Amino acid sequence: MSDNFDEKVITHFQRLLPLVTSIVFLLLAYVPINFGFFYNVRPDFGLMCIYFWMLHRPDLIGIGTIVVMGMISIAISSSVIGASLIAYLVMYVFMYNFQKFFNAKPFVVIWYGFMALSLVSILIKWLVVSVYYNMFLPLSILMLGYLIGIVVYPLIAIVLAFVQNRFIQDDGL
Amino acid sequence: MKRRRSLFLDFDRLKLLAKKFALVILFLIALLLMLLNKNQKNVIDNITTSGTGVVASVVDVLVFPAKVFSVVYDFIYEIGTVRKRNIKLEQENNELKLLRDKYEALEIENKLLTELLNFATLPNVNYISAKVVAEESDAFAQAMVAYVGKADVKKGDVVLSDKGVVGRVDTVKSSYAKIITLADINSKIPVMIEKNRIRGILSGNNTPFPELTFIPLDAKINVGDKIVTSGVSGVFPAGLPVGQVLSVAKNEIKVKPFALLEKLEYIKIVKYGIDGLINIDEEVSDE
Repeated sequence: MSDNFDEKVITHFQRLLPLVTSIVFLLLAYVPINFGFFYNVRPDFGLMCIYFWMLHRPDLIGIGTIVVMGMISIAISSSVIGASLIAYLVMYVFMYNFQKFFNAKPFVVIWYGFMALSLVSILIKWLVVSVYYNMFLPLSILMLGYLIGIVVYPLIAIVLAFVQNRFIQDDGL
Repeated sequence: MKRRRSLFLDFDRLKLLAKKFALVILFLIALLLMLLNKNQKNVIDNITTSGTGVVASVVDVLVFPAKVFSVVYDFIYEIGTVRKRNIKLEQENNELKLLRDKYEALEIENKLLTELLNFATLPNVNYISAKVVAEESDAFAQAMVAYVGKADVKKGDVVLSDKGVVGRVDTVKSSYAKIITLADINSKIPVMIEKNRIRGILSGNNTPFPELTFIPLDAKINVGDKIVTSGVSGVFPAGLPVGQVLSVAKNEIKVKPFALLEKLEYIKIVKYGIDGLINIDEEVSDE
């Protein structure tokens, strides 16, 4: 009985890991840093997490996870309410449809995939927010953030892959 | 496969239908939130800021390892420079003593002249220092979250650093406040060129360098000119240092803020007792 209960708790914990890691990385983008130039170009870690988990464990990342991430962004961000949620939903929809295409492909292909899909996601967010403010937001800063996101993605993927391999077992799920 | 059926509803079919339309509904909700944010900002503020406290606390925990590293590094670095700094500080102290004497003399003179002119002075200034626990700086917003609550600050209070204006308080909850910096697209600060008193508006554009707008066409503005608040509109008192002109082009004048927005750990939130337009907004929303 007790073992069964423990197993259930562990299984639930494992199921929550994609959400937990996504939230941690999402919040990392808001950590005060004194890096001068990099202060203004923060990559969207949330998009990276959605991409990674939708690619490797789509069974563990549902629409609820996306909603929670969107709500956290709304709570902490001073940007337009709902803009981040739209970007996350766009990435989710893309990965929902293209997951099979990227599955079991070399990392370079996966990386290119992230380049393309995150670009579309942030451009849609940029467009929506620009329409909201009735003026174009600075594209240069957006693109710098995007490029840094591309560079950083392999590192985030390594961390998330570690979490996946170390803590998430297929048997229990 | 078992099918759950109630008397009137087929739950499985409903579930499938809901799943199918969930994404569309969520997109619509996101757009609806944006529309509400544009027209009914108070409603959205009430919903969102309650979550800010919890989230900002988590960010505060996340930043802890970096802070420890930073403190240790600063400590080691400071040991090496402490003697040099001491000599420099002693020199500065002597200069400041001289300046203090001058200041006291000027203050007495100013008091006498003010009485002579029957000049209305600015209200008393109260301020509170607060720790920055989260910051947001990208193409979509330039803002921060500070660990200070409703009891100490209110919407519209002026935020300063040791070097100049940082921005203003945007939303306040019980223990956290969201601050938009002068670089944010929502920030519009009435300013003037210090040397020739030409007035304009410093408009944030989500880049590190906000723009000077609504300046007279024939205004003579040079790179390096100092910008201070003009006091127009009553939100910011006049004379606070804001920044200096960075570049002057045909259609845009960029300003470099004095406040080092990227290096703010603590901020000073000042209550000047000038409520300006903010209270009018609040009164309207309360009704």
